[in-house]
Amino acid sequence: MRNPTILASGVLSASGAALKRVYFEGGAGAVVTKSLSVEAREGHKNPTVIEIEEGLLNAVGLANPGYKNFIKELKYLKESGVVVVASVFGKSISEYVEVACGVAKYADAVELNLSCPNVEGKLFAQSENLSYEAVRAVKSKLKIPVFAKLTPNVTDIVSVAKACEEAKVDALVVTNTVKAMKIDIYAKKPVLANKTGGLSGRCLKPIAVRCVYEIAKEVDIDIIGCGGVFTGEDAVEYFLAGAKAVQIGTAVLYRGIDVFKKVCSEIEDYLRKEGFESIEEIIGLAI
Amino acid sequence: MIAKLHVTKIREIIKETRRIKTFILDMKIKAQPGQFAMVWLPDVDEKPMALSYIDGYAGITVLKLGDFTKKLHEAKVGDIVGIRAPLGRGFKLRDEDKKILIVGGGIGVAPLAPLAEKAVEEGKEVTAIIGAVTKSELLFVNRFEKVGAKVYITTDDGTAGIKGFTTDAMRMLLEKETFDACYICGPEIMMVKALELARAKKIPSQVSLHRYFKCGIGICGACVLDGCGYRVCKEGPTFWDFEIEKCSEFGSYWRNAAGVKVYFKKK
Ligand SMILES: Cc1cc2nc3c(=O)[nH]c(=O)nc-3n(C[C@H](O)[C@H](O)[C@H](O)COP(=O)(O)O)c2cc1C
Ligand code: FES
Repeated sequence: MRNPTILASGVLSASGAALKRVYFEGGAGAVVTKSLSVEAREGHKNPTVIEIEEGLLNAVGLANPGYKNFIKELKYLKESGVVVVASVFGKSISEYVEVACGVAKYADAVELNLSCPNVEGKLFAQSENLSYEAVRAVKSKLKIPVFAKLTPNVTDIVSVAKACEEAKVDALVVTNTVKAMKIDIYAKKPVLANKTGGLSGRCLKPIAVRCVYEIAKEVDIDIIGCGGVFTGEDAVEYFLAGAKAVQIGTAVLYRGIDVFKKVCSEIEDYLRKEGFESIEEIIGLAI
Repeated sequence: MIAKLHVTKIREIIKETRRIKTFILDMKIKAQPGQFAMVWLPDVDEKPMALSYIDGYAGITVLKLGDFTKKLHEAKVGDIVGIRAPLGRGFKLRDEDKKILIVGGGIGVAPLAPLAEKAVEEGKEVTAIIGAVTKSELLFVNRFEKVGAKVYITTDDGTAGIKGFTTDAMRMLLEKETFDACYICGPEIMMVKALELARAKKIPSQVSLHRYFKCGIGICGACVLDGCGYRVCKEGPTFWDFEIEKCSEFGSYWRNAAGVKVYFKKK
């Protein structure tokens, strides 16, 4: 990776053309695809994404064309020289394995989305056992790195992280969105067609930083911070809490596709001002 | 905030044709012609609609086509709709262009009427080609005429004006006249042909594209065009000819809600 900023899954990641643009024009160190499933999914009806105070609320419902349709897009990205992480979603362990194996040849790493709040039923990342089993099953088949993306919607995120560590995950992405709702007071109804959605953006940052910090104290694997990174200072906060890289999603809306370049140069500014040579020196300093 | 959701009432409903209605909203929106609104019908869906009225109370003009537009057509004055607007990039009227051509097919005329009004206001000479399948489905001819545009009409069945497509009229017109700029909106296959005609005469043109939108604000990626990577909802929906040339999917396919390619039927 040429820099520690990564495009988060689901944001401008529905096609090869979009991901390529974020990588080259935006300057991301790597990009994560939309979460891919076995079958094509249309996702939820609109409204699927709305702006609220200090954040975005989305319930896209994992719309994607299915991993088989997406292989063309991954090939295109490989040919274009883009560093790409394939996000994988399944309703069962065997689905996670099928999709992960299907895309592994065309990706630099696989990210298991164990934590989408916008699908029916309990999330894998809300169970230590399921998280362990999913990671272990996929790890046993793949040679490329496997990331697990966790949810903050749990009482004890550290135990889930530990379960993934035991299953030999290569990195943890901390975190996905917080489950939330917006009601329009004049329509007198929830705005999202799915009623509830995932909250991202600035308001997510203090929650996700806390999660990173708690996990970094107890667990010895790489952490990628995710949630509300808008500026270099936000990224630094994650590094100090123990993350080695950050993912950026919502900020693309407010600072443009080149938010990655901006964040990188702001990180450099911070390091220079504070007298550090590299990011490595500040990882986990706040712990 | 990009464009906050604003729940408003329908102020007035105008039946334009058998299948087209205009909904005037109880809100004013400072917008450019060609910009759009995400229109939410609670419990139904939310879809992008071009703003067809931008002076005074804002309006949208809707062709009854699928479930959403059918439900919208059932709405009454006083019913509520949620609006996020203005979104996207509108048409660009350039100072140096004195004489412009507007080509609209079917419901594609909706964003072109306010464009014609603005162009005339800016002192431009406006010629318009307006097409529809049949006479009774022609949209906004009166609005173009009212501001003094020179109007040519085409219908597929010959019930009014020239029998044929807008592009047939355009071909004939460009043989004897030229324009500084051309603005095109209609079925994508029509826009491909119209762009070719304009390009052959070296007339700079803009088209307005239609794609499946989810967020409408440039974040979800549903509307990103292959080849160029432009977001139709953000860098578009209007594109210059030199921009659209880089979009390999133009005139070929679009992507549905799942992101699966759907190919256009060639006439
Ligand atoms: C429109 C939208 C769609 C998303 N889709 C996915 C998805 O498919 N898979 C996933 O793992 N996360 C998805 N996310 C969550 C983001 O990847 C990220 O975890 C979250 O937005 C927090 O980061 P941010 O505050 O920088 O946006 C989505 C977020 C948004 C805003
Ligand atoms: S509709 Fe979401 S990016 Fe255009």
